[in-house]
Amino acid sequence: MMRIRWIGLTVALAALAAMPALGQSGLLETRESLYNNIFIFGDKDTVTMTFGQNKRYYTESSMSLPDPGALTVAYTRLMTLGIAYPPKLERILEIGLGGGRTVSYLSASLPDTSILAVELDKDVVDLAKKYFRFTETAKLRTVVSDGRAYLIRDPAKWDVILIDAYRGPFVPFHLLTKEFYTLAKSRLNPGGVVVQNIEPSTMLFDSATATLNSVFRSVDLYDGGGNVVAVAYDGPSLPQSELLGRAAKVQAQYQMRYDLRTMAADRRVFQHPKGKVMTDDFAPVETLRAIEQRNEKWKEQTEAPR
Amino acid sequence: MSHGFMRGLLLLALALVLGFALMGFEMLGSRYLYPYFGGGINTWASLIATVLIALMAGYLIGGALVDRTMSPRLCGLLLVIAGVYLFSIPWWVDPLFAGMLTTVGDGMAGIILAAAILLLLPLTLMSVFTPFAVRLLLTSVTVGGRLVGYVYGVSTIGNVLGTLIVTFTLVPMFGSRALTMVFAAVTAACGVVMIVWDRFLRGEPS
Repeated sequence: MMRIRWIGLTVALAALAAMPALGQSGLLETRESLYNNIFIFGDKDTVTMTFGQNKRYYTESSMSLPDPGALTVAYTRLMTLGIAYPPKLERILEIGLGGGRTVSYLSASLPDTSILAVELDKDVVDLAKKYFRFTETAKLRTVVSDGRAYLIRDPAKWDVILIDAYRGPFVPFHLLTKEFYTLAKSRLNPGGVVVQNIEPSTMLFDSATATLNSVFRSVDLYDGGGNVVAVAYDGPSLPQSELLGRAAKVQAQYQMRYDLRTMAADRRVFQHPKGKVMTDDFAPVETLRAIEQRNEKWKEQTEAPR
Repeated sequence: MSHGFMRGLLLLALALVLGFALMGFEMLGSRYLYPYFGGGINTWASLIATVLIALMAGYLIGGALVDRTMSPRLCGLLLVIAGVYLFSIPWWVDPLFAGMLTTVGDGMAGIILAAAILLLLPLTLMSVFTPFAVRLLLTSVTVGGRLVGYVYGVSTIGNVLGTLIVTFTLVPMFGSRALTMVFAAVTAACGVVMIVWDRFLRGEPS
Protein backbone atom coordinates (compact mmCIF):
# COMPACT_ATOMS: atom_id res chain seq x y z
CA MET A 1 0.00 0.00 0.00
CA MET A 2 2.69 2.48 1.02
CA ARG A 3 4.91 1.44 -1.84
CA ILE A 4 2.36 2.46 -4.44
CA ARG A 5 1.97 5.89 -2.95
CA TRP A 6 5.71 6.46 -2.92
CA ILE A 7 5.94 5.54 -6.58
CA GLY A 8 3.06 7.90 -7.33
CA LEU A 9 4.74 10.68 -5.41
CA THR A 10 8.04 10.13 -7.17
CA VAL A 11 6.37 10.22 -10.58
CA ALA A 12 4.48 13.37 -9.61
CA LEU A 13 7.66 15.08 -8.41
CA ALA A 14 9.53 14.08 -11.55
CA ALA A 15 6.72 15.46 -13.70
CA LEU A 16 6.72 18.66 -11.67
CA ALA A 17 10.48 19.01 -12.02
CA ALA A 18 10.23 18.45 -15.78
CA MET A 19 7.58 21.10 -16.30
CA PRO A 20 9.60 24.31 -16.03
CA ALA A 21 12.05 22.71 -18.46
CA LEU A 22 9.50 22.62 -21.27
CA GLY A 23 10.91 25.77 -22.72
CA GLN A 24 8.09 28.10 -21.80
CA SER A 25 9.33 31.57 -21.16
CA GLY A 26 7.75 34.23 -19.07
CA LEU A 27 6.87 32.14 -16.05
CA LEU A 28 5.73 34.71 -13.53
CA GLU A 29 4.72 32.51 -10.64
CA THR A 30 4.31 28.88 -9.71
CA ARG A 31 2.07 27.86 -6.91
CA GLU A 32 1.35 24.40 -5.59
CA SER A 33 -2.04 24.73 -3.99
CA LEU A 34 -4.16 22.20 -2.16
CA TYR A 35 -5.72 21.17 -5.48
CA ASN A 36 -3.52 22.23 -8.36
CA ASN A 37 -0.08 23.07 -9.62
CA ILE A 38 -0.73 26.57 -10.90
CA PHE A 39 1.61 28.32 -13.33
CA ILE A 40 1.15 31.95 -14.31
CA PHE A 41 2.80 32.93 -17.58
CA GLY A 42 3.03 36.43 -18.95
CA ASP A 43 4.64 38.61 -21.57
CA LYS A 44 4.00 42.21 -22.54
CA ASP A 45 0.64 41.40 -24.14
CA THR A 46 -0.90 38.47 -22.32
CA VAL A 47 -1.11 36.85 -18.94
CA THR A 48 -2.23 33.23 -18.70
CA MET A 49 -3.17 30.96 -15.83
CA THR A 50 -2.41 27.30 -16.44
CA PHE A 51 -2.63 24.13 -14.40
CA GLY A 52 0.21 21.73 -14.99
CA GLN A 53 -0.58 18.07 -15.37
CA ASN A 54 1.06 15.21 -17.25
CA LYS A 55 3.96 17.45 -18.23
CA ARG A 56 1.56 19.76 -20.01
CA TYR A 57 0.01 23.08 -19.20
CA TYR A 58 -3.72 23.48 -19.48
CA THR A 59 -4.89 27.03 -19.91
CA GLU A 60 -7.51 27.97 -17.36
CA SER A 61 -7.68 31.66 -18.11
CA SER A 62 -6.09 34.25 -20.35
CA MET A 63 -6.14 38.04 -20.38
CA SER A 64 -4.95 40.61 -22.87
CA LEU A 65 -3.01 43.32 -21.02
CA PRO A 66 -3.72 46.16 -23.49
CA ASP A 67 -7.41 45.18 -23.45
CA PRO A 68 -8.20 43.47 -20.15
CA GLY A 69 -11.95 43.61 -20.71
CA ALA A 70 -11.72 41.39 -23.81
CA LEU A 71 -12.66 37.74 -23.57
CA THR A 72 -9.74 36.29 -25.51
CA VAL A 73 -10.87 32.66 -25.51
CA ALA A 74 -13.76 31.93 -27.90
CA TYR A 75 -15.72 29.63 -25.64
CA THR A 76 -15.73 32.14 -22.76
CA ARG A 77 -17.52 34.61 -25.05
CA LEU A 78 -20.12 31.92 -25.76
CA MET A 79 -20.56 31.25 -22.03
CA THR A 80 -21.96 34.79 -21.78
CA LEU A 81 -24.71 33.90 -24.25
CA GLY A 82 -26.48 32.22 -21.34
CA ILE A 83 -27.81 35.63 -20.33
CA ALA A 84 -29.93 35.82 -23.49
CA TYR A 85 -32.21 32.98 -22.33
CA PRO A 86 -33.81 33.73 -18.93
CA PRO A 87 -36.66 36.18 -18.36
CA LYS A 88 -34.66 38.15 -15.77
CA LEU A 89 -31.02 38.58 -14.83
CA GLU A 90 -30.95 39.25 -11.13
CA ARG A 91 -28.56 36.54 -9.98
CA ILE A 92 -25.80 34.65 -11.78
CA LEU A 93 -23.70 31.85 -10.30
CA GLU A 94 -20.42 30.67 -11.74
CA ILE A 95 -18.73 27.44 -10.68
CA GLY A 96 -15.02 27.64 -11.44
CA LEU A 97 -13.52 31.14 -11.33
CA GLY A 98 -10.21 30.72 -13.17
CA GLY A 99 -8.82 34.19 -13.77
CA GLY A 100 -12.31 35.61 -13.30
CA ARG A 101 -12.46 37.20 -16.75
CA THR A 102 -15.96 35.95 -17.62
CA VAL A 103 -17.60 37.11 -14.39
CA SER A 104 -15.70 40.41 -14.52
CA TYR A 105 -17.02 40.99 -18.03
CA LEU A 106 -20.56 40.08 -17.00
CA SER A 107 -20.40 42.23 -13.89
CA ALA A 108 -19.13 45.23 -15.85
CA SER A 109 -21.86 44.74 -18.46
CA LEU A 110 -24.71 43.99 -16.02
CA PRO A 111 -24.12 46.38 -13.13
CA ASP A 112 -27.38 45.54 -11.35
CA THR A 113 -26.92 41.77 -11.41
CA SER A 114 -25.61 39.94 -8.35
CA ILE A 115 -22.87 37.55 -9.42
CA LEU A 116 -21.29 34.90 -7.26
CA ALA A 117 -18.30 32.82 -8.32
CA VAL A 118 -17.72 29.57 -6.43
CA GLU A 119 -14.10 28.48 -6.69
CA LEU A 120 -12.65 25.36 -5.09
CA ASP A 121 -9.08 26.62 -4.88
CA LYS A 122 -8.35 29.62 -2.69
CA ASP A 123 -5.03 30.15 -4.48
CA VAL A 124 -6.86 30.51 -7.80
CA VAL A 125 -8.88 33.37 -6.29
CA ASP A 126 -5.70 34.98 -4.94
CA LEU A 127 -3.93 34.68 -8.29
CA ALA A 128 -6.96 36.03 -10.17
CA LYS A 129 -6.78 39.11 -7.98
CA LYS A 130 -3.01 39.39 -8.32
CA TYR A 131 -2.64 38.91 -12.07
CA PHE A 132 -6.05 39.17 -13.72
CA ARG A 133 -7.32 42.41 -12.22
CA PHE A 134 -10.13 40.53 -10.58
CA THR A 135 -11.77 42.58 -7.84
CA GLU A 136 -14.67 41.70 -5.65
CA THR A 137 -17.45 44.23 -5.30
CA ALA A 138 -20.84 44.29 -3.59
CA LYS A 139 -22.28 42.78 -6.78
CA LEU A 140 -19.44 40.41 -7.64
CA ARG A 141 -18.43 38.06 -4.86
CA THR A 142 -16.54 34.81 -4.52
CA VAL A 143 -16.93 31.84 -2.21
CA VAL A 144 -14.19 29.25 -1.76
CA SER A 145 -15.95 25.88 -1.95
CA ASP A 146 -16.51 22.85 -4.09
CA GLY A 147 -19.27 23.83 -6.53
CA ARG A 148 -21.53 20.91 -5.81
CA ALA A 149 -21.06 21.18 -2.05
CA TYR A 150 -22.01 24.86 -2.33
CA LEU A 151 -25.21 24.12 -4.24
CA ILE A 152 -26.23 21.51 -1.66
CA ARG A 153 -25.79 23.97 1.20
CA ASP A 154 -27.25 27.11 -0.35
CA PRO A 155 -30.89 26.74 -1.43
CA ALA A 156 -30.86 30.15 -3.18
CA LYS A 157 -31.98 30.20 -6.80
CA TRP A 158 -30.22 31.66 -9.80
CA ASP A 159 -31.15 32.85 -13.29
CA VAL A 160 -27.97 31.55 -14.89
CA ILE A 161 -25.55 28.93 -13.55
CA LEU A 162 -22.25 28.88 -15.44
CA ILE A 163 -20.16 25.74 -14.98
CA ASP A 164 -16.54 25.97 -16.07
CA ALA A 165 -14.81 23.79 -13.53
CA TYR A 166 -11.81 22.13 -15.08
CA ARG A 167 -8.90 20.72 -13.20
CA GLY A 168 -6.32 20.76 -15.94
CA PRO A 169 -7.84 18.75 -18.77
CA PHE A 170 -10.64 17.20 -16.77
CA VAL A 171 -13.96 18.08 -15.21
CA PRO A 172 -14.28 16.35 -11.82
CA PHE A 173 -16.75 13.48 -12.21
CA HIS A 174 -19.13 14.74 -9.56
CA LEU A 175 -19.86 17.81 -11.71
CA LEU A 176 -20.98 15.66 -14.64
CA THR A 177 -23.60 13.35 -13.16
CA LYS A 178 -27.36 13.24 -13.31
CA GLU A 179 -27.56 13.92 -9.58
CA PHE A 180 -25.44 17.04 -9.98
CA TYR A 181 -27.54 18.42 -12.84
CA THR A 182 -30.72 17.63 -10.92
CA LEU A 183 -29.33 19.64 -8.01
CA ALA A 184 -28.37 22.52 -10.32
CA LYS A 185 -31.83 22.47 -11.89
CA SER A 186 -33.43 22.74 -8.45
CA ARG A 187 -31.41 25.94 -7.91
CA LEU A 188 -32.72 27.68 -11.04
CA ASN A 189 -35.43 30.31 -11.16
CA PRO A 190 -38.22 29.66 -13.71
CA GLY A 191 -36.72 30.02 -17.17
CA GLY A 192 -33.18 29.78 -15.81
CA VAL A 193 -30.34 28.06 -17.65
CA VAL A 194 -27.28 25.98 -16.89
CA VAL A 195 -24.34 26.80 -19.14
CA GLN A 196 -21.44 24.38 -19.24
CA ASN A 197 -18.16 24.26 -21.11
CA ILE A 198 -17.64 20.73 -22.44
CA GLU A 199 -14.60 19.42 -24.27
CA PRO A 200 -15.73 17.54 -27.42
CA SER A 201 -12.68 15.48 -28.34
CA THR A 202 -13.49 12.34 -26.34
CA MET A 203 -16.40 9.99 -25.73
CA LEU A 204 -16.95 11.77 -22.44
CA PHE A 205 -18.65 14.53 -24.43
CA ASP A 206 -21.39 12.15 -25.59
CA SER A 207 -22.09 11.04 -22.06
CA ALA A 208 -21.96 14.55 -20.62
CA THR A 209 -24.47 15.91 -23.14
CA ALA A 210 -26.74 12.87 -22.80
CA THR A 211 -26.67 13.33 -19.03
CA LEU A 212 -27.51 17.03 -19.30
CA ASN A 213 -30.35 16.14 -21.63
CA SER A 214 -31.67 13.51 -19.20
CA VAL A 215 -32.31 16.28 -16.67
CA PHE A 216 -33.06 19.27 -18.91
CA ARG A 217 -35.54 18.87 -21.71
CA SER A 218 -33.65 21.22 -24.02
CA VAL A 219 -29.93 21.53 -24.65
CA ASP A 220 -28.40 23.96 -27.13
CA LEU A 221 -24.80 23.58 -28.23
CA TYR A 222 -22.42 26.23 -29.52
CA ASP A 223 -19.08 25.63 -31.18
CA GLY A 224 -16.46 27.51 -29.20
CA GLY A 225 -13.48 26.56 -31.31
CA GLY A 226 -12.10 23.55 -29.46
CA ASN A 227 -14.61 23.64 -26.66
CA VAL A 228 -18.36 23.33 -26.91
CA VAL A 229 -20.69 25.43 -24.79
CA ALA A 230 -23.94 23.78 -23.74
CA VAL A 231 -26.96 25.79 -22.64
CA ALA A 232 -29.49 23.59 -20.86
CA TYR A 233 -32.99 24.58 -19.79
CA ASP A 234 -36.34 23.12 -18.93
CA GLY A 235 -39.30 23.14 -21.27
CA PRO A 236 -39.48 22.74 -25.03
CA SER A 237 -36.71 23.96 -27.30
CA LEU A 238 -37.06 27.64 -28.05
CA PRO A 239 -37.88 28.52 -31.64
CA GLN A 240 -34.88 30.27 -33.15
CA SER A 241 -36.92 33.43 -33.74
CA GLU A 242 -37.80 33.51 -30.04
CA LEU A 243 -34.17 33.13 -28.95
CA LEU A 244 -33.00 35.77 -31.41
CA GLY A 245 -35.73 38.08 -30.12
CA ARG A 246 -34.62 37.57 -26.54
CA ALA A 247 -30.97 38.03 -27.51
CA ALA A 248 -31.82 41.27 -29.30
CA LYS A 249 -33.70 42.54 -26.25
CA VAL A 250 -30.88 41.79 -23.80
CA GLN A 251 -28.36 43.13 -26.30
CA ALA A 252 -30.28 46.38 -26.65
CA GLN A 253 -30.61 46.74 -22.90
CA TYR A 254 -26.99 46.07 -21.92
CA GLN A 255 -24.99 46.79 -25.09
CA MET A 256 -22.86 43.69 -24.65
CA ARG A 257 -19.43 43.94 -26.28
CA TYR A 258 -19.81 40.42 -27.71
CA ASP A 259 -23.08 40.60 -29.56
CA LEU A 260 -25.56 38.04 -28.26
CA ARG A 261 -27.46 37.98 -31.56
CA THR A 262 -24.38 36.97 -33.54
CA MET A 263 -23.56 34.20 -31.11
CA ALA A 264 -27.15 32.95 -30.93
CA ALA A 265 -27.17 32.60 -34.72
CA ASP A 266 -24.64 29.76 -34.48
CA ARG A 267 -26.91 27.64 -32.30
CA ARG A 268 -27.16 23.88 -32.75
CA VAL A 269 -29.94 21.98 -31.00
CA PHE A 270 -28.94 18.75 -29.29
CA GLN A 271 -31.34 16.14 -30.65
CA HIS A 272 -29.72 12.74 -30.74
CA PRO A 273 -28.24 11.63 -27.43
CA LYS A 274 -25.66 8.95 -28.08
CA GLY A 275 -23.73 8.52 -24.85
CA LYS A 276 -24.63 6.72 -21.66
CA VAL A 277 -26.13 8.79 -18.86
CA MET A 278 -23.70 9.19 -15.95
CA THR A 279 -24.76 8.95 -12.34
CA ASP A 280 -22.95 9.22 -9.00
CA ASP A 281 -23.03 5.43 -9.01
CA PHE A 282 -21.83 4.91 -12.56
CA ALA A 283 -19.57 7.54 -14.05
CA PRO A 284 -16.64 5.92 -15.88
CA VAL A 285 -15.17 9.30 -16.78
CA GLU A 286 -11.61 8.02 -16.95
CA THR A 287 -12.54 5.32 -19.45
CA LEU A 288 -14.74 7.59 -21.57
CA ARG A 289 -12.21 10.36 -21.92
CA ALA A 290 -9.57 7.85 -22.94
CA ILE A 291 -11.51 7.22 -26.14
CA GLU A 292 -10.82 10.04 -28.52
CA GLN A 293 -13.10 11.09 -31.32
CA ARG A 294 -12.95 13.57 -34.12
CA ASN A 295 -13.53 17.09 -32.92
CA GLU A 296 -16.41 17.89 -35.25
CA LYS A 297 -18.24 14.63 -34.68
CA TRP A 298 -20.44 16.11 -31.97
CA LYS A 299 -22.39 18.03 -34.60
CA GLU A 300 -23.91 14.75 -35.80
CA GLN A 301 -25.91 14.71 -32.58
CA THR A 302 -27.45 18.09 -33.29
CA GLU A 303 -29.89 19.70 -35.68
CA ALA A 304 -30.23 23.25 -36.91
CA PRO A 305 -32.76 25.17 -34.78
CA ARG A 306 -36.24 25.67 -36.13
CA MET B 1 -1.98 -32.77 1.50
CA SER B 2 -1.61 -32.30 5.19
CA HIS B 3 -4.19 -30.75 7.40
CA GLY B 4 -1.79 -27.98 8.38
CA PHE B 5 -1.03 -27.14 4.76
CA MET B 6 -4.73 -26.86 3.83
CA ARG B 7 -5.38 -24.72 6.87
CA GLY B 8 -2.54 -22.40 5.91
CA LEU B 9 -3.81 -22.20 2.37
CA LEU B 10 -7.31 -21.31 3.51
CA LEU B 11 -6.08 -18.60 5.87
CA LEU B 12 -3.83 -17.08 3.22
CA ALA B 13 -6.67 -17.16 0.70
CA LEU B 14 -8.83 -15.29 3.19
CA ALA B 15 -5.99 -12.80 3.75
CA LEU B 16 -5.80 -12.22 -0.02
CA VAL B 17 -9.53 -11.73 -0.48
CA LEU B 18 -9.89 -9.49 2.57
CA GLY B 19 -6.86 -7.44 1.52
CA PHE B 20 -8.44 -6.99 -1.91
CA ALA B 21 -11.78 -5.94 -0.45
CA LEU B 22 -10.22 -3.58 2.09
CA MET B 23 -8.40 -1.45 -0.48
CA GLY B 24 -11.39 -1.80 -2.79
CA PHE B 25 -13.44 -0.06 -0.12
CA GLU B 26 -10.85 2.70 0.20
CA MET B 27 -11.09 3.41 -3.53
CA LEU B 28 -14.89 3.15 -3.50
CA GLY B 29 -14.93 5.51 -0.52
CA SER B 30 -13.65 8.27 -2.78
CA ARG B 31 -16.70 7.86 -4.99
CA TYR B 32 -18.99 8.41 -2.01
CA LEU B 33 -17.07 11.39 -0.68
CA TYR B 34 -16.47 13.33 -3.94
CA PRO B 35 -20.04 14.50 -4.53
CA TYR B 36 -20.18 16.14 -1.13
CA PHE B 37 -16.65 17.03 -0.13
CA GLY B 38 -14.94 17.46 -3.47
CA GLY B 39 -12.18 15.46 -5.06
CA GLY B 40 -9.06 17.05 -3.68
CA ILE B 41 -5.95 15.88 -1.90
CA ASN B 42 -7.86 16.62 1.32
CA THR B 43 -10.44 13.95 0.55
CA TRP B 44 -7.67 11.45 -0.13
CA ALA B 45 -5.80 12.39 3.03
CA SER B 46 -8.95 11.74 5.07
CA LEU B 47 -9.55 8.40 3.39
CA ILE B 48 -5.98 7.21 3.76
CA ALA B 49 -5.79 8.32 7.39
CA THR B 50 -9.09 6.57 8.12
CA VAL B 51 -7.89 3.32 6.57
CA LEU B 52 -4.57 3.44 8.42
CA ILE B 53 -6.30 4.13 11.73
CA ALA B 54 -8.65 1.22 11.04
CA LEU B 55 -5.68 -1.05 10.33
CA MET B 56 -3.97 0.04 13.53
CA ALA B 57 -7.08 -0.42 15.65
CA GLY B 58 -7.85 -3.77 14.01
CA TYR B 59 -4.34 -5.09 14.61
CA LEU B 60 -4.40 -4.04 18.27
CA ILE B 61 -7.87 -5.41 18.94
CA GLY B 62 -7.27 -8.58 16.95
CA GLY B 63 -3.97 -9.23 18.74
CA ALA B 64 -5.57 -8.82 22.15
CA LEU B 65 -8.55 -11.00 21.25
CA VAL B 66 -6.65 -13.87 19.70
CA ASP B 67 -4.31 -14.20 22.66
CA ARG B 68 -7.36 -14.53 24.88
CA THR B 69 -9.55 -16.88 22.86
CA MET B 70 -7.92 -18.02 19.60
CA SER B 71 -11.45 -18.43 18.24
CA PRO B 72 -11.86 -18.32 14.44
CA ARG B 73 -15.59 -18.16 15.09
CA LEU B 74 -15.23 -14.81 16.90
CA CYS B 75 -13.13 -13.38 14.08
CA GLY B 76 -15.70 -14.67 11.57
CA LEU B 77 -18.50 -13.01 13.49
CA LEU B 78 -16.67 -9.65 13.37
CA LEU B 79 -16.22 -10.05 9.60
CA VAL B 80 -19.94 -10.74 9.19
CA ILE B 81 -20.74 -7.58 11.14
CA ALA B 82 -18.33 -5.63 8.91
CA GLY B 83 -20.02 -7.09 5.83
CA VAL B 84 -23.49 -6.15 7.01
CA TYR B 85 -22.38 -2.60 7.80
CA LEU B 86 -20.71 -2.19 4.41
CA PHE B 87 -23.68 -3.70 2.61
CA SER B 88 -25.94 -1.06 4.13
CA ILE B 89 -23.80 1.92 2.98
CA PRO B 90 -25.60 2.65 -0.31
CA TRP B 91 -28.89 3.11 1.57
CA TRP B 92 -27.84 5.79 4.03
CA VAL B 93 -24.73 7.44 2.64
CA ASP B 94 -26.30 10.16 0.46
CA PRO B 95 -28.80 11.64 2.93
CA LEU B 96 -26.22 11.43 5.71
CA PHE B 97 -23.47 13.23 3.78
CA ALA B 98 -25.88 15.85 2.46
CA GLY B 99 -26.97 16.49 6.04
CA MET B 100 -23.38 16.63 7.28
CA LEU B 101 -22.51 19.17 4.63
CA THR B 102 -25.08 21.58 6.01
CA THR B 103 -24.25 20.88 9.66
CA VAL B 104 -20.51 20.11 9.91
CA GLY B 105 -19.49 21.64 6.56
CA ASP B 106 -16.91 20.49 4.04
CA GLY B 107 -13.81 21.48 6.00
CA MET B 108 -11.27 19.12 7.50
CA ALA B 109 -13.59 18.04 10.31
CA GLY B 110 -16.41 17.26 7.90
CA ILE B 111 -14.35 15.17 5.50
CA ILE B 112 -12.55 13.20 8.21
CA LEU B 113 -15.81 12.54 10.05
CA ALA B 114 -17.48 11.42 6.82
CA ALA B 115 -14.61 9.09 5.89
CA ALA B 116 -14.62 7.70 9.43
CA ILE B 117 -18.35 7.03 9.45
CA LEU B 118 -18.06 5.35 6.09
CA LEU B 119 -15.09 3.07 6.74
CA LEU B 120 -13.62 3.16 10.24
CA LEU B 121 -15.78 0.52 11.93
CA PRO B 122 -15.97 -2.07 9.13
CA LEU B 123 -12.31 -1.79 8.14
CA THR B 124 -11.24 -2.09 11.78
CA LEU B 125 -13.26 -5.29 12.04
CA MET B 126 -11.75 -6.55 8.78
CA SER B 127 -8.17 -5.96 9.89
CA VAL B 128 -8.77 -7.90 13.11
CA PHE B 129 -8.29 -10.87 10.79
CA THR B 130 -4.53 -10.38 10.34
CA PRO B 131 -3.37 -11.12 13.92
CA PHE B 132 -5.88 -13.98 14.06
CA ALA B 133 -4.37 -15.50 10.94
CA VAL B 134 -0.84 -15.14 12.27
CA ARG B 135 -1.68 -16.70 15.62
CA LEU B 136 -3.70 -19.55 14.10
CA LEU B 137 -0.88 -20.41 11.73
CA LEU B 138 1.81 -20.13 14.39
CA THR B 139 2.60 -23.68 15.37
CA SER B 140 6.25 -23.13 16.17
CA VAL B 141 8.27 -20.01 16.98
CA THR B 142 11.03 -21.16 14.67
CA VAL B 143 8.84 -20.42 11.62
CA GLY B 144 7.26 -17.30 13.16
CA GLY B 145 9.15 -14.81 11.01
CA ARG B 146 8.24 -16.50 7.75
CA LEU B 147 4.62 -16.90 8.83
CA VAL B 148 4.21 -13.22 9.60
CA GLY B 149 5.89 -12.50 6.29
CA TYR B 150 3.46 -14.75 4.39
CA VAL B 151 0.36 -13.28 6.02
CA TYR B 152 1.41 -9.67 5.47
CA GLY B 153 2.83 -10.37 2.02
CA VAL B 154 -0.29 -12.13 0.76
CA SER B 155 -2.60 -9.58 2.33
CA THR B 156 -0.59 -6.76 0.72
CA ILE B 157 -0.80 -8.45 -2.68
CA GLY B 158 -4.55 -8.40 -2.08
CA ASN B 159 -4.30 -4.67 -1.26
CA VAL B 160 -2.42 -3.95 -4.47
CA LEU B 161 -4.78 -5.97 -6.66
CA GLY B 162 -7.80 -4.42 -4.94
CA THR B 163 -6.51 -0.89 -5.48
CA LEU B 164 -5.72 -1.38 -9.15
CA ILE B 165 -8.46 -3.72 -10.32
CA VAL B 166 -11.23 -1.84 -8.54
CA THR B 167 -10.07 1.49 -9.95
CA PHE B 168 -9.20 0.55 -13.50
CA THR B 169 -11.64 -2.25 -14.22
CA LEU B 170 -14.48 -2.77 -11.79
CA VAL B 171 -15.67 0.79 -11.08
CA PRO B 172 -15.88 1.68 -14.79
CA MET B 173 -17.75 -1.56 -15.49
CA PHE B 174 -20.17 -1.93 -12.60
CA GLY B 175 -20.47 1.34 -10.69
CA SER B 176 -19.65 1.91 -7.07
CA ARG B 177 -22.92 0.92 -5.35
CA ALA B 178 -23.11 -2.56 -6.83
CA LEU B 179 -19.43 -3.15 -6.08
CA THR B 180 -19.87 -2.05 -2.48
CA MET B 181 -22.58 -4.63 -2.01
CA VAL B 182 -20.62 -7.40 -3.73
CA PHE B 183 -17.49 -6.73 -1.65
CA ALA B 184 -19.59 -6.50 1.49
CA ALA B 185 -21.09 -9.90 0.69
CA VAL B 186 -17.61 -11.31 0.03
CA THR B 187 -16.40 -9.97 3.39
CA ALA B 188 -19.35 -11.53 5.16
CA ALA B 189 -18.75 -14.78 3.28
CA CYS B 190 -15.15 -14.85 4.57
CA GLY B 191 -16.63 -14.51 8.05
CA VAL B 192 -19.06 -17.36 7.46
CA VAL B 193 -16.17 -19.56 6.27
CA MET B 194 -14.36 -18.89 9.54
CA ILE B 195 -17.47 -19.66 11.59
CA VAL B 196 -18.28 -22.87 9.75
CA TRP B 197 -14.70 -24.18 9.73
CA ASP B 198 -13.98 -23.02 13.24
CA ARG B 199 -12.59 -26.36 14.45
CA PHE B 200 -10.62 -26.96 11.26
CA LEU B 201 -9.01 -23.54 11.55
CA ARG B 202 -8.14 -24.11 15.20
CA GLY B 203 -6.08 -27.04 14.05
CA GLU B 204 -8.35 -29.68 15.44
CA PRO B 205 -9.17 -32.62 13.13
CA SER B 206 -12.63 -32.02 11.75
